[in-house]
Amino acid sequence: MAVLKLEHIYKRYDNSEKKLFKKAKKNDFAVKDLSFECKDGEFIGILGPSGCGKSTTLRMIAGLEQITAGDMYIGDTRINDLLPKDRNIGLAFEDYALYPPLTVYDNLAFNMRAKNIPESEIKEAVERVAGLMKVDDLLEMKPLGLSGGQKQRVNIARALVRRPGLLLLDEPLSHLDGKMRQQLRYEIKRMHHEIKCTTIIVTHDQMEAMSLADRIAIMDFGCLQQIGTPLEVYDDPVNVFVAGFIGEPPMNLLRSAIKAVAGGYMFTFEGSELHVPVPERYNHVVKDGMAVTLGVRPVDVLIAGENEPSGTPIPVAIYEDLGDERRISVRVGENLLNLTTTDQVFYEAGDKITLRFNADKTHLFDIETGNRIRE
Amino acid sequence: MDTKELAKAQSGVKYKKLGHCLGFIGSNLALIVFAIFALFPIIWMVTCSFKSDAEMYNTVFRFTPTMANYHAVLIGTDYFKAFLQNIVVAGGAVLLTVVAGVPAAYGLARYNFKNKEDMAFTILSFKFAPEILVILPVFLIFQKIGLYDTYFGLIWVYQLITMPLLIWVVRGYFEDVSVEIEQAAQLDGYRWYEIFFKILVPLVKPGLVSSALLAFIYAWNSFTFPLILSGFNVQTITITSLRYIASDSVHYGQVAVAATIAILPEIIACLFIQKHLVRGLSFGAVKG
Amino acid sequence: MARIELEGVTRQYDRVKAIDRLSLDIADNEFFVLFGPAGAGKTTTLKCIAGVEFPQEGLVKIDGKIVNLIEPQDRNVSMVFENYALYPHLSVYDNMAFPLRSKLYKKSEAEIKEAIDKISKLMRIDAYYERKPSQLSNGQRQRVAIGRCLVRNPNVFLMDEPLAHLDAKLKHTMRSELKEMQSAFNTTTIYVTHDYMEAMSLADRIAVLDKGHIRQLGTAREMYYTPGSEFVAKLFGEPEINIVPAEYRVENGKGIASVGSGISWEVPDDVRADIEKSGAKKIDVGVRGNDISFSFEGGEGWVGGTIYAFEPIGNKTIITAQLENAQYRIVAPNDVHASLDSAIYIKMNFDNVLYFNAETEQFITRHNREEILSLKKA
Repeated sequence: MAVLKLEHIYKRYDNSEKKLFKKAKKNDFAVKDLSFECKDGEFIGILGPSGCGKSTTLRMIAGLEQITAGDMYIGDTRINDLLPKDRNIGLAFEDYALYPPLTVYDNLAFNMRAKNIPESEIKEAVERVAGLMKVDDLLEMKPLGLSGGQKQRVNIARALVRRPGLLLLDEPLSHLDGKMRQQLRYEIKRMHHEIKCTTIIVTHDQMEAMSLADRIAIMDFGCLQQIGTPLEVYDDPVNVFVAGFIGEPPMNLLRSAIKAVAGGYMFTFEGSELHVPVPERYNHVVKDGMAVTLGVRPVDVLIAGENEPSGTPIPVAIYEDLGDERRISVRVGENLLNLTTTDQVFYEAGDKITLRFNADKTHLFDIETGNRIRE
Repeated sequence: MDTKELAKAQSGVKYKKLGHCLGFIGSNLALIVFAIFALFPIIWMVTCSFKSDAEMYNTVFRFTPTMANYHAVLIGTDYFKAFLQNIVVAGGAVLLTVVAGVPAAYGLARYNFKNKEDMAFTILSFKFAPEILVILPVFLIFQKIGLYDTYFGLIWVYQLITMPLLIWVVRGYFEDVSVEIEQAAQLDGYRWYEIFFKILVPLVKPGLVSSALLAFIYAWNSFTFPLILSGFNVQTITITSLRYIASDSVHYGQVAVAATIAILPEIIACLFIQKHLVRGLSFGAVKG
Repeated sequence: MARIELEGVTRQYDRVKAIDRLSLDIADNEFFVLFGPAGAGKTTTLKCIAGVEFPQEGLVKIDGKIVNLIEPQDRNVSMVFENYALYPHLSVYDNMAFPLRSKLYKKSEAEIKEAIDKISKLMRIDAYYERKPSQLSNGQRQRVAIGRCLVRNPNVFLMDEPLAHLDAKLKHTMRSELKEMQSAFNTTTIYVTHDYMEAMSLADRIAVLDKGHIRQLGTAREMYYTPGSEFVAKLFGEPEINIVPAEYRVENGKGIASVGSGISWEVPDDVRADIEKSGAKKIDVGVRGNDISFSFEGGEGWVGGTIYAFEPIGNKTIITAQLENAQYRIVAPNDVHASLDSAIYIKMNFDNVLYFNAETEQFITRHNREEILSLKKA
């Protein structure tokens, strides 16, 4: 059980192209000014596209990478210069490095045996983690005979066997296919629920982060973009990147020009007839002719009924019936505006529909910086 | 960005730079020493070619350079004839190897047939056998069928040393080309020979060029086969060089000249090889 | 523009039959999806049509003409390979121009340029003309591969998992683009995928393949609302459909189905007739996550359990409820909060339950079968 604190962490890798007389070109920072805190027993997800610095961050926490600058604490101890083995951390990587000639039991017991811990104690510890990760009936098997999901469970169990204060998971689900992935997601979540071990998971899959983590830290280009609960990052993104990264299908992000009309403002779009009223709460931050990025999730684009005349009818470009839901897209200039609905509606391409946006869930972003414009 | 943090970040850098510098000098020194060690025989050979017979056994690098050896070898002997004949024989051998070996390599890489691996291994095993082991029967057969002392006879027998190498290297390159690339080209409307020349040849070129050049060097250097299987009509440089060793006196200087000139094509070829030894052209063509 | 027929096609590798006496009839201009898990024989089927694989048995026909012995070049088909199969030594532009520079499909350089510009703009690769495939990301390579396929105007497009390696966001947009282009293709398309959303969105008809056999052939709505077997039902829909064993009995002239945990209901008459006609001894029922409502309070008609898993995934939350003898996945709105192992109460919409024969795992029936399939514009 531990509190992990990162304060202004920087990381730069040395440039590998060494030249004698030329000044070596400095790499950009892989991680820039990263600060956050994991509370005791919290499940944190670090989420971002490949190359965003999330794995580097995890490796710095584990002690596998030097920290270039900044301080890292577990509890009150500064751990920058502690060896990985002294940090009391459990680590499970994407590819399960199990020892093939050993049984699952011996794999789990391996580290403890190396420390001459009495066999009875080892047995107790192994059985505890085996129960937690539901591998208790596999203890006699060799890793070769296990499925990917089972291997990953053993791998996580091994990380847990020494009761680490902090559990680090690096893309533990990315090798697994659909069903196994879902099952393991459940198991990880339940394991965390039972032992309440502070856990950090690194992933590029927003669905995985949302479903597992108590809070999600979203990174891009080495910088922390936003940290918050799944619902916070979903409903209240701080910038265009977060808005576009979280959610499936992705949020509609359209360039729009604001136009003043009697009694308020309208969103207009280049190359399109579509006009949508700007929610009133934005009235004092927008002005006529201002360009913004409009963000609205497909579920928040609604088809207006016949007796609410709120805009221009616009032809349906694509209608998809996916069983669970139906997705409709219309052309707005060069871009597609998507909406999803669980209602049983049916359209053909070319049918005209009138759209309105859920005013509470309509977001504006600065067109230059991408930052959220708040009312 | 916070300047304090930046300063902290850079404080470690200076110390590293000095270490980096020393390491660079050290590793280069080691490389230079090794290069001298490796090149010494060639250096010694070249210096010998400029020495007179009297200074030949002198082990310091002090001598009066003389062109007499060059004069003796190049003017008034048939050294150049042997040189040209060697080019014909070695070049012909490589040509035949490429024409016959590339299809063989493709077949071994692409198709599954019975005893495929055995056949591939048999081809490779030609390279294991010492030449001297087969030379006597080959000599007798060649005399019977009239191949003794002919260009084609040597070209043919050289396949024993050039073919296995080329087949094994090029086969590896063909195996790296995904079969889907060929299928895609078929669907794009190309006939098999167009696919072969437009797609496959460019993709295996690094392997093909480097193994063909290595094969050329093997053929060029071959000694045993031409010693036994050629007479006066076809002479290679390796055999001609022997001529300067007579029963009563040994003209080491002249041997050195013959050898120095003989390695020129190889050195030129090696410079070409370097460029093509770079692999990796086929990366990124298919997923992964 | 061609009709594609397969008649009893078998393709065998060593002793394994990749496809086994497969017959298909794909209409001219149809967008046909081959859907199934890995190893189902989807790619082999495509390659047999393309002519780069040779079936040991059966006939392949294009426009009624048997093409078994016709070289792939002369079949005039165009294909996207799952591993892209780009030419590594050619630039992106030359890769896409390659089919148009062959003797068979020769076009002038000006026409080639025009065709490539048009397609690559759609695929958003027009900025990378000079790059080699090795300098592209997987997503970009995949788009170049699609582009190379689309520049020509062949008899049939064969697409092998063309969107599989794109990230979720790009996959969504590309699917929409493909869907929109589809009407303009004016060509038969055979599309292989293991993503049910791609299948449902794009297909005129879907064939569900498994282990070299066709499990079901039909429209997207048929697959979702009247799946032919439990296997097919599980493939369509996210979260996966809940399939549980049920007991069926007749009481006082009414058909009663019960799934334990205190859930039982009277089956509608049309369903009852079908079940009795099928003669199934045991049945399974399938109910989708959207057809289960939930509450944290309970009350009359609600059945209690505990929360086994709770997953907010953005626009919805998936709750797995542990009842007495089964787990149910339920779709909930995204603003619900609950902790694991706390109490939950559920209620099913019995109208949308699917009934299967428990022994054969084949579909028996559902309520309002015809009505639900014939949904059209109001």
